[in-house]
Amino acid sequence: MNDTELRNLWSALEPNGRQRARIETRVFEWLEASETSIAGEWLGLLKVEPLTALAYASVGAVSLLLLTPIGWIAVSLLP
Amino acid sequence: MILTATMAALPSAARPFVWLFNALSVLFGADAEALEEAAVLKLVEQARAGDRAARQRLYRQHVQRVFRTVRGMLRSDAEAEDVTQDAMLTALTSLDRYSPRSGTRFAAWLTTIAVNTTRRRFRRRRPELTATGELPEVADPAGDPAADLDVARQRAALLQALTELEPREREIVSLRYGSDLNATEIAAQLRMEPANVRKILERARVRLGERIEALAKSRGAAA
Repeated sequence: MNDTELRNLWSALEPNGRQRARIETRVFEWLEASETSIAGEWLGLLKVEPLTALAYASVGAVSLLLLTPIGWIAVSLLP
Repeated sequence: MILTATMAALPSAARPFVWLFNALSVLFGADAEALEEAAVLKLVEQARAGDRAARQRLYRQHVQRVFRTVRGMLRSDAEAEDVTQDAMLTALTSLDRYSPRSGTRFAAWLTTIAVNTTRRRFRRRRPELTATGELPEVADPAGDPAADLDVARQRAALLQALTELEPREREIVSLRYGSDLNATEIAAQLRMEPANVRKILERARVRLGERIEALAKSRGAAA
């Protein structure tokens, strides 16, 4: 076998369509995630899903209201 | 390049269809048209400046080369997928470190990253090449079944023949035929003398050829 034949044979090791798609999705999802700040994600959420963002904000506010008195009580019980 | 030549021969009315075909091919993951080194360097510059489309073109230009190079050194498609993914991520996030002034082609720089990623994997867990490799888990729905079977047989024969080479020989032939590097580029990567690389390459090429032909004959006799 000569150089050209071997080079052609090596193309049999190339990834198939599914493998290519899988690698590409993982690479670009990772790049996308690493380039998006947390603030940007929140702003994106507000822009795209205002109701979900409102729900998250409400749960956060209620958690703060409920947990603060529980915290006071817990602190007062400590010796 | 083939496409460019075809374009020149076509009447102007047909060109939009060729562009459409090209756009759909890229969209559905077909092989990217090979670019000259100057065009690759331009893409690198654009990607460094934050151009995401350029980064994606750069990725598509090189991902198959990385996969077929590391596949010859690893034992499964799954490992080759992981290593390709890690190598491409490392390269795309370190483009600032690539300097064409050192005389290194972008493909050779990328191959260095891929080989280092493969070696890190070897250090973590020493893999052995399987004798037959892996056949595709599911047939490609867009592919021709007869051609797929032929490719699967060729790939199994090649992987089988690769198991019989020394690790260093396997690395050298993978860099030569998977990444299309010349002996000088391979020598620079592996810190060897080019003459030594040529000698090993020639020996490995003969052994691979003989083994693959023997496997083809035995399969032909069995059929």
